[in-house]
Amino acid sequence: MSIKIKIREFKDLQSLPRYTYILAILTILGMSTGLYRLYAGLGATTNLSTVFPWGIWISFDLTMVAFSGAAFTLAALVYIFHMHDLHSAVRPTVLFGLLGYSSVLVILFFDLGRFDRFWHFLVYPNLTSALFEVSWCIAIYTTILIFEFSPVVFERFNNKKALAIIEKITIIFVIGGITLSSMHQSSLGALFVIMLPRVHPLWYSIITPEFFLVSSLAAGISTIIIGSYLSIWMYGRTLDQKVIEKLGILMPWILGFYLLMKIGDLIFSHKLGLLFTSGIFSILYVTELTIGVIVPLILFSMKSFRKDRNKSLIAALFVAAGIALNRFDISWFVLKPLHGITYFPSWIEISLLIGVFSGVLLVYTLVSYYFPVFTETIAIEKKQKEKTYPAKVAEAVTGD
Amino acid sequence: MAKYGFLIDASRCIDCRACLVACSVENNVPMTHTRIWMKETGVTGEFPDLERYTAPYHCMHCVDPSCVSACTVGALQVNKDGIVTYDNDRCIGCRYCMYACPFEVPHFEWDKQLALINKCDLCVNRLEEGQAEPACAATCPTDAIQFGKREDMLALAHERIKNEPNRYIDHVFGEHENGGTSTFYISPVPFEKLGFPTTHREESPAEFNRMTTEEGTPIIAGSVLTGMTGIYLALEHLQKKNPVHTIEKDLETVDSKKEKE
Repeated sequence: MSIKIKIREFKDLQSLPRYTYILAILTILGMSTGLYRLYAGLGATTNLSTVFPWGIWISFDLTMVAFSGAAFTLAALVYIFHMHDLHSAVRPTVLFGLLGYSSVLVILFFDLGRFDRFWHFLVYPNLTSALFEVSWCIAIYTTILIFEFSPVVFERFNNKKALAIIEKITIIFVIGGITLSSMHQSSLGALFVIMLPRVHPLWYSIITPEFFLVSSLAAGISTIIIGSYLSIWMYGRTLDQKVIEKLGILMPWILGFYLLMKIGDLIFSHKLGLLFTSGIFSILYVTELTIGVIVPLILFSMKSFRKDRNKSLIAALFVAAGIALNRFDISWFVLKPLHGITYFPSWIEISLLIGVFSGVLLVYTLVSYYFPVFTETIAIEKKQKEKTYPAKVAEAVTGD
Repeated sequence: MAKYGFLIDASRCIDCRACLVACSVENNVPMTHTRIWMKETGVTGEFPDLERYTAPYHCMHCVDPSCVSACTVGALQVNKDGIVTYDNDRCIGCRYCMYACPFEVPHFEWDKQLALINKCDLCVNRLEEGQAEPACAATCPTDAIQFGKREDMLALAHERIKNEPNRYIDHVFGEHENGGTSTFYISPVPFEKLGFPTTHREESPAEFNRMTTEEGTPIIAGSVLTGMTGIYLALEHLQKKNPVHTIEKDLETVDSKKEKE
């Protein structure tokens, strides 16, 4: 097994795969529509309205934060629970978390009516506001993620002094990061507690914060599994299957606990009957729980699924789809449409999202090509390797 | 200090919209962005017994306002007179208040580049200058909008219903809605028909919000912080006693061996 990969020189641009150029074009196009939105105002460029003041941007943010929960979930497993054999996933995951949170901050900036005052939340606190807690925690946590990722940069420039200092104090930042993550993952759910008149009763719950927190653990783990598959396609490198297997073992417990909470909440608040009488909402609720929780719960309980790379990917995709649906449901689909007005995003809203998401993938690719991110991963031998990867890439990924 | 209140009587409103003009002039906002607007039943009944009721509608000035609890930067506040004020120098335009408000009151300036929220502040500047009433109440020619102390307005509402039970339905809108407000409505027709949002809750969701943000979040943060620290220290202690082989440590030894070579 190889543990070292060659990191490219910064001037080496020719060997970048073609998709990075496509991503770059998409990013530029998306961000230009974003700039147009800043110039023209929200009314002219979005389909948001008085009855639907938040749209797909907020749904995207909620989903992205849940998936970026990968970083704090893994940090807890590796550094707190001492599962050091998962360590090889840390760098790729922290990088994803960092970029995921950054993309959320970028989208939030475009979403503000007074984007020029985005810093106001730092100086005008309202301690009862869930959104205030979310913005503070995300801002601080993103800073902590930069710190957690900094060893990669120092290693690239061979700064051993800084590396040694960081290694000593890492655990403080890890614990701080986990605390802040638990706070904002749950506060994102708390956003909907005050929307009592708007949220459909099946989704409305005083323990929505806890739902969000627990589901973000599952979303985080599924992100790591899906990411390990994507990295095969992108760099021909991936995590050891033992890592995936170990992560898979945790899934049934997390999902089972989430399912118990969900069902228990329905029973205690006497809403079980609504499951059968709410028409389209019943279908949405059952779909969300089935694909996101029940099916993957069964799949991850089977050893054959955890052992097999492709099968564990399928199970992880179920979780991701279900939890994404949950976030879109509560922030969009099941908000009571007042006066029958519904919302569908405008093309500018969608193009900005595509742009920002492409930006995340682009920066991720570039950073992992030029910095030692995938150092502890294993190379995957593919039959058409010569065909898929240019010679220089193949050279870069061959170890000793 | 006694709190202010409104009594709005839909049976007296003649849809002249003088209150909208007054609001526009007083607050220096265009007619399209007034902080008061009309709710109506539309024309109902069979000719010749046609009916149409209207009522001016603005911020209810809740006793425990959801918007104040939700506002990210504290731009919305309740002052000592029970007025829900809005500070447009603080607002960042996040629009969370629009979702929090059960009465659909805060409006957003969708057409502006740097857009803010628009909301009735009960002409707080006008009252501070010593004038007796907000512009809409002062202007209303039929006294459909009356202004005074909150408890006086509530008593007056009940008195009118009691004196003329055939004229009004027995419901003071705002007495219990969202935990009680400072604006009371009485009407000859059910409020749903006037297009009012139906919130029949005795308590404001602001209370649930405080439960989660002021109690829930600190509890989560505290337990995660202590739990994680405890588990880390305990496992660290155990591991020092019995060192365990992990992939990472194996790799480290391989590394250091190679470096020596």
